[in-house]
Amino acid sequence: MMDCKDLREVLDLFVDGELSPEATVKAETHLAECQACRRAADRLQGLRQAVKATVSQYEPAPELVHSVRRSTLSPWHRRPAWTLAMVAVALLVVALAASVPQLRGVAANTLEATAFHLDDSRSVVMEGTLLCRDCQLKKEYGYRAMCPLKGHHGTLQTKDGKIWNILDGDASEDLIHNSALLGRIVRIHGRCFRRASSIEVDSYEVL
Amino acid sequence: MFLGQTLRRKHFERDALPHLPAVYRMARQLVGAESADDLVQETFLRAWKYFETFDPTTNCRAWLFRILRNVWISRWRKSRLELPLVDTGEEQIEPYYDWEGEFLREELSADVEHALSEVPSDYRLAILLADVEDCTYEEIARIMECPIGTVMSRLNRGRRMLARLIQAYGDAHTSGNQPQVFVRRKP
Repeated sequence: MMDCKDLREVLDLFVDGELSPEATVKAETHLAECQACRRAADRLQGLRQAVKATVSQYEPAPELVHSVRRSTLSPWHRRPAWTLAMVAVALLVVALAASVPQLRGVAANTLEATAFHLDDSRSVVMEGTLLCRDCQLKKEYGYRAMCPLKGHHGTLQTKDGKIWNILDGDASEDLIHNSALLGRIVRIHGRCFRRASSIEVDSYEVL
Repeated sequence: MFLGQTLRRKHFERDALPHLPAVYRMARQLVGAESADDLVQETFLRAWKYFETFDPTTNCRAWLFRILRNVWISRWRKSRLELPLVDTGEEQIEPYYDWEGEFLREELSADVEHALSEVPSDYRLAILLADVEDCTYEEIARIMECPIGTVMSRLNRGRRMLARLIQAYGDAHTSGNQPQVFVRRKP
C-alpha cells in the first residue's frame, strides 16, 4: 500500500511516467482513494501542460530555417557574394600575371590575401604527402634536424609544395609521430588555419 | 568512417534538421528571443561538423540538445550572473510541497514564461526537457551529463520553484503589488 507520504515522494516520477509498472499501480490505487493527492497530481500535471503550451507556441522563423539549411547542406555555405567576387578578381589577376611578368609579384600577394579572406577556419579536405618537417627543412635549407635524437615530425606537403603543420590532437597523433606513415599520401578532414599554415585534424585516410 | 558529402548531407537532412523547431524552442528559453537564432545556428554548425560522431541508432534530438547545452554553456551561460547550483542527489527532493494552491489559470501563459526565465538555468533545462520535449530521465541525464538522481532533484526543486513563482505573479496581479521573487542571484 502507498500512503500520502509515499505518493508525494514519487509524484514527479508518477506524472513523468518514470515509475515501474508495480509502483504505478500502487500510486493509482492511492490516488483513486485520496482526493488531496489526486488534486496534487492534477496540479502538477497542469503545470507540465502549462509549460508545454507556453513554450510550444514558438516556431523558428523561416529565415532561420533557411539559414541553417544553407550553412549546413550547401557546399558553398556561408560564402557571401563578395567572397565569390574576390575569387573572380583573383582569377583575373592570375590571367594578367600569366601574360605580364611584372605583375607576378602583385598577383601572388593578391592571391595570398584572397586565400586569407577565404580561409574562415571551417571544414576542409586536404590531400598531400606526409613528410618529416625537420628532414624537409634540412633538405631544402640545411636546417640542423634533430630527428635522429628526437624522432621525425610529420607534416603535410600539398601539391603546390606548401608544407602544413599538423596540430596536435587525438586524431593527428599517428600523422605526426608514426614514422611508418612518412611518404604516404593522406587525405585529411579537418580545419585549415591558413595564416598559421596549420591544420587541425578531425579524421584522415591513408590513400 | 567518413561518409561521402552527398550521403552526409542526406543523412543530416533526414536525422538532424527535423529537430530544428525543438532546438529553437529550447534555445529561446535558454538565451531569450534576441539570441536564440545565433544559438540555434551555432548548434547546427557544430552538429554538422561532428555529424560523423553521431550514432544513428541513438536519438538525434537528444544528441542535438547535448550540443545545444555545450554551446550554450561555452558561449552564453558563463556571461550570465548566476550562482552555481548545489544539487547532488535525492536528499533535496521536497516531498510535501503543497500542490493544492491555485496557481494555474488560463490567462497565465505570460506569467509561466516569465517565471520560467527566473528559474535557475539547470533546473529550467531539466523542466523543459521533461515537460516540453517529453525526454526520459535517462535521456535528460545524458544530455545534462549528470546522474539520474540529480535529474530527479532538479525537476523536483525546479517545478516547485516554478509553481511558487507563478503563484507569486498571480497574487501580484490580484493585489497590484510586485511579486516576491526568491531566486538566488549574485549580489
